Amino acid sequence: MNRAFRRTMAIAHKEVLHIIRDARSVYMALGLPVVMLMLFGYGISQDVDHIPLSVADEDRTPASRRLSEGLVAAADFVRVEDLPSADDAEAAFRSGRAKAVLAIPRGYGRDLGRGLPAVAQLLVDGSDGTTATIAMGDAAGLVQATSSGRAARASLTEGPRVRARFNPGMRSAYNMVSGVIVLILAMVASLLASLTIAREWERGSMEQLFATPVSRVEIVVGKLIPYTGLGFVQTLLVLTLGSYMFDVPIRGSPVTLFVSSTLFLLAMLGTGLAASIIAKSQLVAVQFAMLVSYMPVAMLSGFMFPIENMPAWLRGLSMVVPGRYYLTTLRGVLLKGNGLDVLAGDVLALAFFAVATLALAVWRFRRRLS
Amino acid sequence: MSDEVSVRVKGLNKRFGAFVAVSDVSFEVKKGEIFGYLGANGAGKSTTIRMLCGLLSVTSGDVEVAGVDVVHRANAVRHAIGYMSQKFSLYLDLTVSENLEFFGGAYELFGRAFRKRRDAVMHSLALDKLSGELTGSLPAGLRQRLALACAILHEPHVVFLDEPTAGVDPGARRNFWRLIRRLADDGTTIFVTTHYMDEAEYCDRVGLMVAGRLAALDTPEALKRTLVPGRMYELLGADAAEVKKTAKDLALVGVEPFGATLHVRVAEGGPDAATLKRELSSRGVHVANVSDAEVTLEDVFLCVVGGAEKPNKVPEEAKAS
Repeated sequence: MNRAFRRTMAIAHKEVLHIIRDARSVYMALGLPVVMLMLFGYGISQDVDHIPLSVADEDRTPASRRLSEGLVAAADFVRVEDLPSADDAEAAFRSGRAKAVLAIPRGYGRDLGRGLPAVAQLLVDGSDGTTATIAMGDAAGLVQATSSGRAARASLTEGPRVRARFNPGMRSAYNMVSGVIVLILAMVASLLASLTIAREWERGSMEQLFATPVSRVEIVVGKLIPYTGLGFVQTLLVLTLGSYMFDVPIRGSPVTLFVSSTLFLLAMLGTGLAASIIAKSQLVAVQFAMLVSYMPVAMLSGFMFPIENMPAWLRGLSMVVPGRYYLTTLRGVLLKGNGLDVLAGDVLALAFFAVATLALAVWRFRRRLS
Repeated sequence: MSDEVSVRVKGLNKRFGAFVAVSDVSFEVKKGEIFGYLGANGAGKSTTIRMLCGLLSVTSGDVEVAGVDVVHRANAVRHAIGYMSQKFSLYLDLTVSENLEFFGGAYELFGRAFRKRRDAVMHSLALDKLSGELTGSLPAGLRQRLALACAILHEPHVVFLDEPTAGVDPGARRNFWRLIRRLADDGTTIFVTTHYMDEAEYCDRVGLMVAGRLAALDTPEALKRTLVPGRMYELLGADAAEVKKTAKDLALVGVEPFGATLHVRVAEGGPDAATLKRELSSRGVHVANVSDAEVTLEDVFLCVVGGAEKPNKVPEEAKAS
């Protein structure tokens, strides 16, 4: 046992040296999380606000002004121009100056005053699906509220209220940070792991290794150790940056976070190693690893596209994507403060994938040449 | 060299599908012996060495290395052998001492025992001053020496060297063989493959591999004596085709181009150099000079393969690895 431990540590130590010597792998491991976090945090925001809004106010009464100002005040819309008539909406959309047009017909204020139903229209540019959907959702409550007689005298925020628990500001950063952790670990772990064994085959050093007393399991475990460590550094990096830059909280137990992160890392490393062992060529291994680990995690984990909206067969497919369970765990721990009592199922699923992929890697690893 | 047997091979066969890479090979190597395995690329040298190291399964036959049945207990032999594969396979992004440390660790050498052994090996292979150098920055000759250092760190009984000097300059090759000899004198058994005929002269015994078969096996001297009997002459400024025409008359056994000259062998009791020159001239064959020549292993090799092709020029096989 002690001998096996020595040999495993020799492999691990050598692997650490490989990682340190190859500046690219360090950049990728530590630079990529920062870049992705910036990109998703500042660049690609799923929050749709500051929608350019044109207002065609043909009524010009205090009531109509209250309506248009109400929309702008919520910061979802920015008033870019005033149109003389609702007929100009088409031109505003075509030119791209506005994504939404608020058309208030003459008589709007008068009807409101009389307690009659008053109709104002919000037109949105449907060619930009995401913006349109969100603009309609944001505005619906407001327009409806202000166009009913009762609301005319009340404040705009009255009416049926929706409150998002755990993320009251509906900040996409909250979802994004957990998503980025999942993506980063999936990508870097499977990528680096897929390179490592194929590289030994390509260089011929695998043959040399096989001539030593080092066993298959020792090679796999020895290679896992440094990459798991690297994965922890990445996770901590993203969590720290997430909490400083985007105020993402960590409400749950760090132990649950640690356990689930380890299991997910092992599952991704196992996938990469299995790809590396089966392919024996770095190029093929990398592509294979991306295809079976990163892509499904990006598409089917629920980070970018909600699983509930997928057709049944894709929902079924997402069951075998480890990222799905890790994302649930992360969101649960970070935002809801959930512990193992709630997340046990997801953590078990992660454990299953970790064991399965690593077992596959060791099983397919032939110690003899062919 | 003692009478103790380090490597015992009996009826060894290896087939890859329909291709027979090694066919019915048997031999024994004694402790402290340098055993050379000579043959063209693809003759089955690397395949044999890999089977002896337990890296490749055996189709049939028995292999015993350092008293271990390699066919059934490949893992049990690892501590007893050192292996230097044909492809240079150290880690180029590690320094000399890091490579040594890794291979030490792979053989469970660490701490004081490792350092003592490392220093001894580095000293004997004259690598002392290079410990901090990146392996990738070393010339081929030094890399080869480092690979040898990594292979003997754990003091194996038998060291298997697969084409250890391929791509190394002549000076470094000679140096390398001096180290090999010293290792053997200290009691380590050396099994080495090569396709350099001149290198085979350094070996205690040489096995000649031709198309998967062990065609001949003996000391270099005995091989020359038995396989290339008669006398060998070197002809300067003669045309091979013309000389060959006289072969029957003059009892010439072999006519082979050798560099810019011709190597002509006559049967036992044939003419001496002066007579041969006179006889050739009288038959209208121009020859500038005839002198006695040393029989080389290259002549032996050419005899054995029937003078078909020179070993270096045989094309890469249908891959025996």
